[in-house]
Amino acid sequence: MSLAVLVVEDDREIRDVLRASLAAEGFDVLTAVSLSEAAALLDHARVDVVVLDLGLPDGDGAELVRRIRRTSSLPVVIASARHQEAEKIALLDAGADDFLTKPFAVGELLARIRVALRHRGTAVQPAITRYDAGGLVIDLDAHRVERNGEALHLTPTEFNVVACLVRADGRVVTHRQLLVDVWGAEHIDDVHYLRLYMAQLRAKLEDVPSEPRHLVTETGVGYRLATE
Amino acid sequence: MANPLTPAERARAGRDLVGVVVAIAAGTAVCAALDGVISLTSQAMVYLFAVVAASYALDRVGAIASAVGAVTAFNFFFVPPRYTLAVEHREHLIALVAMLAVALLVSTLSAALKRETAAAHASETRARQLRELAAGLLAAERESDVLRIGREALARRFTGPVFLVGARDGEVDDRTAIPDDVARGLRCCVGEAAVLGPGTGRWPGLDAWYVPLGPRDSVVGAACVAPADAADAVGREHAEAIAALLAQAIGRLRLAEANLATSAALQRQHLQSTFLAAVSHDLRTPLTAIVAAASSLQQQRARLPVGEQDRLLAAIVADASHLSAVTENTLQLVRLAAGGEALRLEWQAVEEIVGSVVARLRARPGGDRIGVRIAADLPLVRGDATLLGQLVGNLLDNALKYSDGPVQLVALRAGKRLLVSVKDRGGGVGEADRARVFEPFYRGGRIGATRGAGLGLALCKAIADVHGASLVVSARPRGGTRFTLALPVEAQPEAALAT
Repeated sequence: MSLAVLVVEDDREIRDVLRASLAAEGFDVLTAVSLSEAAALLDHARVDVVVLDLGLPDGDGAELVRRIRRTSSLPVVIASARHQEAEKIALLDAGADDFLTKPFAVGELLARIRVALRHRGTAVQPAITRYDAGGLVIDLDAHRVERNGEALHLTPTEFNVVACLVRADGRVVTHRQLLVDVWGAEHIDDVHYLRLYMAQLRAKLEDVPSEPRHLVTETGVGYRLATE
Repeated sequence: MANPLTPAERARAGRDLVGVVVAIAAGTAVCAALDGVISLTSQAMVYLFAVVAASYALDRVGAIASAVGAVTAFNFFFVPPRYTLAVEHREHLIALVAMLAVALLVSTLSAALKRETAAAHASETRARQLRELAAGLLAAERESDVLRIGREALARRFTGPVFLVGARDGEVDDRTAIPDDVARGLRCCVGEAAVLGPGTGRWPGLDAWYVPLGPRDSVVGAACVAPADAADAVGREHAEAIAALLAQAIGRLRLAEANLATSAALQRQHLQSTFLAAVSHDLRTPLTAIVAAASSLQQQRARLPVGEQDRLLAAIVADASHLSAVTENTLQLVRLAAGGEALRLEWQAVEEIVGSVVARLRARPGGDRIGVRIAADLPLVRGDATLLGQLVGNLLDNALKYSDGPVQLVALRAGKRLLVSVKDRGGGVGEADRARVFEPFYRGGRIGATRGAGLGLALCKAIADVHGASLVVSARPRGGTRFTLALPVEAQPEAALAT
């Protein structure tokens, strides 16, 4: 059975293009033009991943994300324009899995959906504890980090930061989520911690720290580990 | 008179009495000296002279007193029967009456003359005051100056409390420190655009005059002056003359203000239309290419070789991305210019910002020409990551567009500044253009060379400005251009323990 994507988008042209290109990739495509329609579809139809446009006519997407998160780990990918930055981050913090900045290429959308789907059902699957890409191996269970076959030494905090990104499995982790997970809720605004630790990590994990291939910065949002 | 005399008036009355007595005594003495030498008629003439002299010098009461006194003395001392007040002949009675009439006439005439002289003096004084006021007002540069000068001018003539306020669109400007009833009067005066108060036929019961500044439909203020007397037409006219001068001065200032606003609006409008022209050019060019390529694919696909189809599709994607960048730049520039949106200033690592921008540009054609050199241990800077990323992205984008050779991005610390330079080996920016490349609509000598430079650099400059940074362009020694962003380095945040 093919996977079902729910596209929540109020612009007909964009909806039609997404429907066509997702169908071409073998997805079952459901569409909704409003949050209320999306909510109704989620109640009655099987959906494997949601692509949610921001700025829908009937209100705030955060409500829908919170509603979904109350009952499931259904992947949600946010599609937003630049000026909706704040709303986008709020939704990611509320539990959305990832985001796309409009305008986006279909390839980007498919990549995000693939990453999001890998996570489907993590509630029952074992958590992701291993990252292996481009010569960098991070094994959380063994507490081991290797670059090009050589073991690297990370400080405990550095390791915690990396672990957070590994568990996200390619999805973006917001500044807020990282700060809370690694340092605790009282450090929620200390973004400079992240800047400093990320610089140290890039120096250790990347071949060319100024052009990272693994630790990807999502400007203004957070970080992710590149998986493709 | 019910009122008791003031000391000054009492002194004056005393002086008048002495004058009367002296005049009559002198007349009597002369007549006595010439008694028997001259006729009774001539003696009457002597008295008449004394009366005329006294009447000229004294006021009406003094004149009447001197006439009555002279007639009495003449009658008593010289008119037979002497040393009585009895009058023998009807002739003498006529002489007495005539003398009284002459005294009154002379006194009246001289009083009128004196009044006119005084009035001439007063009007000369007023004219001088008005001249001085007009000269003072010419130098006034603010409405508050005009009001202050006006208050002083009114206070020189009117002893009672004087109030003067500006007004706009029939509304009094500032009612602070003005009693309520006066404020009401001023408002009324502005509303009716007419003088109110005693002798004006409007609200004659008031104890002050309310004078509007300026004619109906352009009342720019109002004055309240006291004391106001219905009979003091001259005083009221003086107040009105001052009001007219003040109205003129305020009108002049407001006109200048309006002119300034109009020319500012015109300039803004001009900027806006230039802006729109630039933006629409930047938007329309890629749109034209997209429409052409897409419609060609739509209508001629069957006849196009596969390679050509791919080229058109790639052009559509490239132009659409370009369009998206132009739109983003324009929106951001407008947002920054509006200044309404609060910046998200956080500690940023330049390495990160550059890293994600370069990663994005690498995917583009020519992206492999970018070389990055970032000094180790750069300090953090306070900034908005999205904006700074847009700045660096635009600089790199431009460098790629306007040159074919390598593009270098260098970040290093220099004292209290963190320098980010983007260098190319392209045609360079001419000396004359360097100052203007950051103007929103300036396209310099690069017109036609490639498109869409329009707002990119202007946005870069605007972003640098909101970060308290400088952005300069310079020519490189062996050709090419260098853009250097100098970000201020602030005291670093308390570092998280390196564990």
